[in-house]
Amino acid sequence: MFKFLSGFRKEARILLRDKAGLTILFVMPMVLIIIMSLLQEFGYSAVSRETTLKVLFLDKDQDTLGIQIGKGLRKSNFFEVIDSLNGKPLTEKGIREAVKKGDYLIGIVIPEKVTRSIRANVRLQVAKTLAGFGLYNPMLISTIPMGDADTVTVYFDPTVKKTFKNSILSAIKEYNYKVETEMVFRTFNQEMAKVFPNFTPPKQEYKDMVVFKEIFPSYKEKEEIPDSAQHNVPAWSVFAMFFIIIPFTSSMMIEREEGSLLRLQCMPVSFMKLLMSKVCVYLIVCFVQTTLMMLTGMYLLPLFHAVPLALGHQILALVVVTIVIALAALGFGLMVGTIATTHQQAASFGAVSIIIMAALGGLFVPMYLMTDTMKFVAGLSPLNWALTGYYDIFLRGSGLVEVFPSIFKLLLFFIISIAISFFYRTLKNPLNK
Amino acid sequence: MSGNPIIEIRELTKFYRRNDEPAIKSVSLDIFPSEIFGLLGPNGAGKTTTISILCGLFAPTRGTVTIDGLDIRHNLDEIKSIIGVVPQDLALYPTLTALENLTFFGNMYGMRGSELKDRIHKCLEEFGLEKVARKQINSYSGGMKRRVNLIAGLLHKPKILFLDEPTVGIDVQSRIFILDYLNAINETGTTIIYTSHYMEEAENLCTRVAIMDRGNIIALGKPKELVKERSEFTNLENIFLHLTGKSLRD
Repeated sequence: MFKFLSGFRKEARILLRDKAGLTILFVMPMVLIIIMSLLQEFGYSAVSRETTLKVLFLDKDQDTLGIQIGKGLRKSNFFEVIDSLNGKPLTEKGIREAVKKGDYLIGIVIPEKVTRSIRANVRLQVAKTLAGFGLYNPMLISTIPMGDADTVTVYFDPTVKKTFKNSILSAIKEYNYKVETEMVFRTFNQEMAKVFPNFTPPKQEYKDMVVFKEIFPSYKEKEEIPDSAQHNVPAWSVFAMFFIIIPFTSSMMIEREEGSLLRLQCMPVSFMKLLMSKVCVYLIVCFVQTTLMMLTGMYLLPLFHAVPLALGHQILALVVVTIVIALAALGFGLMVGTIATTHQQAASFGAVSIIIMAALGGLFVPMYLMTDTMKFVAGLSPLNWALTGYYDIFLRGSGLVEVFPSIFKLLLFFIISIAISFFYRTLKNPLNK
Repeated sequence: MSGNPIIEIRELTKFYRRNDEPAIKSVSLDIFPSEIFGLLGPNGAGKTTTISILCGLFAPTRGTVTIDGLDIRHNLDEIKSIIGVVPQDLALYPTLTALENLTFFGNMYGMRGSELKDRIHKCLEEFGLEKVARKQINSYSGGMKRRVNLIAGLLHKPKILFLDEPTVGIDVQSRIFILDYLNAINETGTTIIYTSHYMEEAENLCTRVAIMDRGNIIALGKPKELVKERSEFTNLENIFLHLTGKSLRD
């Protein structure tokens, strides 16, 4: 045991004397959390934010549909509706040019007389329906031709993502359906009033039959809406923890390249014992690093007007998950450091593999946007297990029992990584223990 | 040589992966207690491979090695406790002090407490490093680093000390000091196995030498006897060049 402790002391001293390295280990992840959280907070999230996305809006219709869409966009708190440029009213050509140049991401053009056209089509449809009941209105049916569908043009900057584009189009379609439905009811009532003079149309012709309520079910009794900090801080903490394999493998490679490893291999000490002492030091580093990142989320993010991180009540689960994530990261580092033959090999493979595993694990692209095949692959990434563990705690209020699957997978990954490192060493030299 | 050898090497062969030629070809050798044995040879001769196998860094492909009656394949941990190794590279942690480096390496040999503390202080004093013991290694001169490197290998008073070019790149004073110290510990019974490219140094220091080339031992004996046997040569370096040739080696 004292050999292990001696190794631990040695490793800790080396680390503590590397002031620049320590700064990178602790300060950079905090900076990462702040930058990524602020980017996410003010770049994509609509929560608690002023209107930021400017939309060019040309309403040539000047009737119900145009007015409703304009009103809906303004009410959404997500868009700033712009109807003039440089003091001049917008034109379709102007919108096209402005979006083409990349000055604006979205331009919407509501065509002329589109409401009139909808109204006419609706009247024809209503008349046809009433004719089915013997309430035939030959004038209505013969004078109104069935028009083609009108086109609402939406210009998108090529950088706009497909999901975002779809949500904009869905919103516009929703306003359109609402306008059409209201018209159907109104026209129907008007026609009924013509046929039955005693018929009094209801004061409110149409109202939404279904309202939507957003619920985020969790294991906690109290329902809480997850905020962006609860999404971002865990995700980037996992990323930073796995990135520790760079200094970790670097420390292994320096020991090998400078010759001290060779000396140690000639000494009566188990190599794995020495590596475990290194793992323990870096485990503490990971833990301190993650704690600092959480504190950054709690106390520094609000200074930048971002939502603070709420730790929740599952502190034990949080501590255990943090430790097993760190172990998984260090196990992977140990494996890379054992198999790599040069410093550069370890550093570049380590960095690239973490980025790939992070991308696959859903840190950059949410898993629900992935194809089934990619979802399957994502499920194989240790960063995904780590992220799932944290999300279970932060977003679902899960305790130790609920996060056990993540803990188990991460621990297994750690054990397998250590076993591979051990067998690889033995394979290279059967005398190694 | 009389008595039982402390190191017995029999038919030792080592192949590296992807190499058709063995690095050592069926070498047999006995080294006796209290010898200063020089393993000499040009680059690629097989001397580092031989020493690495003796220290347990590589497993032999064929053959047997016994150190102090212990088989290297089965008793490596016991063997590691009785050998000391001084690698050619400065195998030290540059950001740790000499004291911290030596304490750590001493701990790895199982030494601790006042036994280790006293031993470190004695060695540092003998090597003239006691005043800089608490300074980081990266502030030391090349000669000082070599001396700490040597202390780290003999802290636990090993029965057998392996030295790989211990005097490379240091000033004359440090070199003389190291060689004198090796002579002194040899007189107390430590067996020394030493590799060097400095033939004159080997000739003066070693009780016996083996000249290796292309994985074989091509000459073995006391330096003076080797010179005497070949009257046309005046020193070990001439014999070495005669046996190994003047062509450059990789």
